Amino acid sequence: MGLVSAYFRRGWTILRSEVLVLPSRLAVLLFIIALMAVPLFTQDYYILRILILTCIFAIFAASWDLLSGFTGQMNFGHALFFGVAAYVTALLNLDLGFPPYLSIPLGAVGGVLAGLVVGIPCLRLRGSYLALTTLAFPIILTGLVFAMPDITGGELGLSGLSRLTGSRVMDYYLCSSLVVILGFAMWKITDSKTGIILHAIREDEVAVRSSGINTIRYKLLAFCMSGFFAGIAGGLYAHFMRLAGPSTLEVSLSFQVIIWSVFGGMVSIYGPIAGVFILNPLMEVLRVALGNFPSLPEIRMFIFAGLVLVTLLFMPEGLIPWVRDKLENECPRCKLRNVFIRQRCRVCDTSLS
Amino acid sequence: MKTLKLFGLVFAALVLSFALCLPAGAAAPIKIGVLGPMSFTQGEGHWNGASMAADEINKAGGIKVGKEMRPIELVKVDTNEFLSIPDATNAAELAVRRHKVDFLVGGFRTEAVLVMQDIAMDAKKVFIGCGAAHPALCTKVTKDYDRYKYWFRLTPINSKFLGKVDFILLGTVAHIMKKTLGIKKIKVAVVAEKAAWADPIVNISKKLLPAKMGMEVVGVWRPSPVAKDCTAELSAIQRAGAHIVFTTFSSSVGLTFAKQMGELKVPAAAVGINVESQKSGFWGATGGKGEYAETINTYARVEITPKTIPFYDKYVKLYKQAPNYTAGTYDALYILKEAVERVGTVDSDKVVSALEKTDYIDTAGRVVFDKSHDVTWGPNYVTSIGTQWQDGEMKCVWPYHWQKVFYKGTVPYKLAPWIIDYWKNKK
Repeated sequence: MGLVSAYFRRGWTILRSEVLVLPSRLAVLLFIIALMAVPLFTQDYYILRILILTCIFAIFAASWDLLSGFTGQMNFGHALFFGVAAYVTALLNLDLGFPPYLSIPLGAVGGVLAGLVVGIPCLRLRGSYLALTTLAFPIILTGLVFAMPDITGGELGLSGLSRLTGSRVMDYYLCSSLVVILGFAMWKITDSKTGIILHAIREDEVAVRSSGINTIRYKLLAFCMSGFFAGIAGGLYAHFMRLAGPSTLEVSLSFQVIIWSVFGGMVSIYGPIAGVFILNPLMEVLRVALGNFPSLPEIRMFIFAGLVLVTLLFMPEGLIPWVRDKLENECPRCKLRNVFIRQRCRVCDTSLS
Repeated sequence: MKTLKLFGLVFAALVLSFALCLPAGAAAPIKIGVLGPMSFTQGEGHWNGASMAADEINKAGGIKVGKEMRPIELVKVDTNEFLSIPDATNAAELAVRRHKVDFLVGGFRTEAVLVMQDIAMDAKKVFIGCGAAHPALCTKVTKDYDRYKYWFRLTPINSKFLGKVDFILLGTVAHIMKKTLGIKKIKVAVVAEKAAWADPIVNISKKLLPAKMGMEVVGVWRPSPVAKDCTAELSAIQRAGAHIVFTTFSSSVGLTFAKQMGELKVPAAAVGINVESQKSGFWGATGGKGEYAETINTYARVEITPKTIPFYDKYVKLYKQAPNYTAGTYDALYILKEAVERVGTVDSDKVVSALEKTDYIDTAGRVVFDKSHDVTWGPNYVTSIGTQWQDGEMKCVWPYHWQKVFYKGTVPYKLAPWIIDYWKNKK
């Protein structure tokens, strides 16, 4: 009992001194609480479907940020990891009867291997050359998918996968928990020593190499980690939709993930997650609001594109960093963030004005 | 007292106005979700066909469910399935769970229909497919009947039978050329757009034509689906001495190919699948150069059944274009109406058992569903048709006394005069 009480006190202390002091952290906490509470208010299949897909795409977008945002390895073909994992998951489930809790992690391993396959030939490439090369990989794989219909199901894809869990609510809890856990894991990676090296590679790779760090290893690591998280998203998608088809490799999906991330705010992990949680449900809100408006997809896309353009025009670093910078100030001395109403830093007491 | 009287008067007026405004026991409508990519011609066909049928049925009083007449309320579900599969599934889920539709019709892209099919089956909603041809959709019914029994396919005939009709059309033209021009061995140029769906047809052609149909394949050409110039292919086909060009086109290349073939007066007959030539705008788009192109089709102004021509004419009058096969939602609504009226309920399980007993003459033929809930193909059932452009009109040229099947209004297939001249002079 004493131990529980001690943990509770420690938790409360962390909450009070680390979370409640910053609006961005408080917002994340409220978001998690709201996310977990949704099924208590509604179990509407339609709403839960949208939120489940949003969670899956949020993991996917964050995985792109890990590679392209933090490490600067601009990937225009991120759907490759998603698609490979979806197909591997589907094959393991359909042919070998693996349940989702095995097929999804193994599908993610497929994503890791895809990361290596892309990463190795791309090691010498940078900038637009790297971006265009990565764009080619999902297109090549789409060709292979069509060339081997006996294995991949061709144009039709692989369908009839077993369900993610037994019910829509359980599917929701699984996906929402994973977006929180994997999002936190990715954020911790970027905050670790490895994350700092990845960040440094993006800023100046030559300087990092001259410091004796094997940048090749770290870049490959970034490709693999990104492939793993994108792979988890791909596996979840395949089981939730009960289908792994050529649409999982489409170029549009690769660009969609970039739009979500840039809109939400790159180099933050939570930015792309927020971007997906704003833009993906927004498209559905527009569907319901516009109803039978003629050319509904085009109108939705027009509004979507307009919103993204306006956001980026006024908030070049993305929506979430812009909001955060409005609500929080960075201490010039210790670099810790403080709520904007504070006059002095909460740790080192330096004047913030 | 005066105030009391005034109050009583206002109250009476309110009661009266409420009584007059309230509909006298109006029956709840039967909601039917029409799934389709509404910004594309396929989705337009879905919606137009369904709207036409719903208007007609509602004007006639609606659907008789037990003792009451219930009107149809259509729910337009834009699936955007060509661009996004998640979008398609969200739209289907919205229709089923929010709009609470009683039945679903439509769907086009097989990958999307597979997922939408699952959504419908989860909710135990009858879903009549009018667009996706892949056999896998119906195979599920035989594999897991209890779950997938709510799925039926009305149009088009499944891709296996589409392929069969494709080769029958080829064989028919080959026979006509042999008979008219005295050619002993027909040489065929296989031309298919570079797309995955066309691959099986190319592979089968290479094997089947020499082995089973006694023809020679002089080459295979795979232009891009969006090619704007096919003269290189056409020159090569002419040099190869092909008598027939066996086409497999679903995209805009079909228009380019047919137009340039007419412009160059290539001495070979084009037959097979050309979706562009199924459209009423084909003649204008090719400037009349697409004349003599033959394709598989579902609708033409021909009496497949007594319902075909009235349907065709009304559709053209309303929408200023010929119906394509996704407009089969028209028949889907009538088939649903018939099934619901027979069982007197909209309960899915009972409607399924009624649909299984369907024997209905619709605009495309006699509809009987087989064990996999697929529409039966063959003589005296739905056959689909072959159409050829002749003098600016889309004419039905097949079945022309095939297996004793002849639809009134069908005309004989015509060879282009330059083909006849070329091969007669060649001899």
